[in-house]
Amino acid sequence: MIEYRDVWKAFDLPVLSGVNLTVETGELISLVGPSGTGKSVLLKTTLGLIIPDRGDALIDGESVVRASRETLHRIRRKVGYVFQYAALFDSMNVYENVSQGLRDDDLKTLGKREVLRRVCQSLEDVNLDPRVVLPKLPAELSGGMRKRVGLARALVGRPEVILYDEPVTGLDPVNSATVDQLIVKIAEKTGVTSIVVTHDIAGALEISGRVALLDHGKLRFVGTPEEFRTSEDPLVHAFADRTAAAEAAVKIMEDK
Amino acid sequence: MPSPTSALQGLLRGVARVTQAVARHVGQMSLLVWHIATASLSGRVSFRSVITQAHQMGVQSLPLTIVTGMLSGVVTAQQGGYQFTSSIPLYVLGSVVAEGVILELGPVMTAFVLIGRVGARITAELGTMQVSEQIDALYSLGRDPVPVLAAPRLIAGTVVTPLLVGLANIAGILSGMFAAQMTVGLGNESFLFGARLFWHNWDMFYSLMKATVFGFIIPLISCHMGFLTRGGAEGVGRSTTTSVVLMIISVLVLDAMFPPLFLN
Repeated sequence: MIEYRDVWKAFDLPVLSGVNLTVETGELISLVGPSGTGKSVLLKTTLGLIIPDRGDALIDGESVVRASRETLHRIRRKVGYVFQYAALFDSMNVYENVSQGLRDDDLKTLGKREVLRRVCQSLEDVNLDPRVVLPKLPAELSGGMRKRVGLARALVGRPEVILYDEPVTGLDPVNSATVDQLIVKIAEKTGVTSIVVTHDIAGALEISGRVALLDHGKLRFVGTPEEFRTSEDPLVHAFADRTAAAEAAVKIMEDK
Repeated sequence: MPSPTSALQGLLRGVARVTQAVARHVGQMSLLVWHIATASLSGRVSFRSVITQAHQMGVQSLPLTIVTGMLSGVVTAQQGGYQFTSSIPLYVLGSVVAEGVILELGPVMTAFVLIGRVGARITAELGTMQVSEQIDALYSLGRDPVPVLAAPRLIAGTVVTPLLVGLANIAGILSGMFAAQMTVGLGNESFLFGARLFWHNWDMFYSLMKATVFGFIIPLISCHMGFLTRGGAEGVGRSTTTSVVLMIISVLVLDAMFPPLFLN
């Protein structure tokens, strides 16, 4: 379970202003909202990559803010993080990148053959052919492939929680749908707790058990996709409407 | 036209700002050194990474270091020969070249080579990793970037630089001897006689000590500035420039502190 308790953060301006949210074990929740409202900042507080000015983030009851360096490393090992632009290590090939997702202990004890097997399994889980991509450098991959390699790296350590930071941004609709399906497949197959930060409202409503809308650093709405669609809150409605409009536009284009 | 009082206030504010920035950088770098030391002593630094970095810093910098050392020796011999002809016994040139190269030019010119070739690259590399979230990715994977990225570079720099300086010194003296023969007709025997006449064994130790300090400070500043990088490609450019400036100033300040501390 992940809990955000009264999280505040400001850089030059306030970004998060008292966010409270609980994500139950095994739940898949999407965090949506206008740009610059602190969605990615909130996600990064989960791992202590950004320390809140006030408040706390807890994973399974353990505080990330008050954790010692060793405890924080242990907490982080429970979590897979999929970065917006994949954040693959430029100097490493796909095999080395994905194997970085394994714990140090695993790397020492598993043996090369088992490490390779797990890396290949993770790549197959994200619909990539290991024979093709393993020796490639990140610069040789397309945007969609990089995102999926980033996802494979997050998966290989068998995390209990996966945090997705804009997993479909910059992808074409087909690749976006593929990544969305992968997120659902992984959540269903492994029972992993998932938080997806996204601007893709249609995708969020399709894949999530709950949707949270962050606006001006505060949670404005938390509820099921159905409640989101029927909400009378003007901002939520605007988001839902935009989705409907986009869907209609896509349909018109397809019909033509 | 500002009044003298406001101009003085502005000057004092500027000095205070610079002092504050220097104190902040020194404090942050001290913490980085402590972090690297604890990581190294607890065996969390990969030996393979240290060797890789040593190869990149040492072997790949060797040709440029040797050329720089040779040119330092040649220039010193030519200028000394020009000044000494008809005034001072020419064999003194041997001492001027050997001591000039060993005490000053070898370590400092090698440090400048490393600042340009290695320091700038480290800041740009770590800065790019910072702005592209690769450093965050390391944290998220439960790995500490300091033992993974900074420690191997710092250890390699500290070990490799004295070796480079030693070779630059040898190249400088040999090329200076050759240049002295070619320009003022000073024979090798006379050159070596002059070099031995004012030679102290301490001087070589002093040279290598300087090299060790420079080899420590260059990767330290470059890693520190790399980790501080913010703001995309422009930020990487800005922090690389700042890093190079800081490294040059630090090397020159430390160089100026060495004689009063160790040559009295």
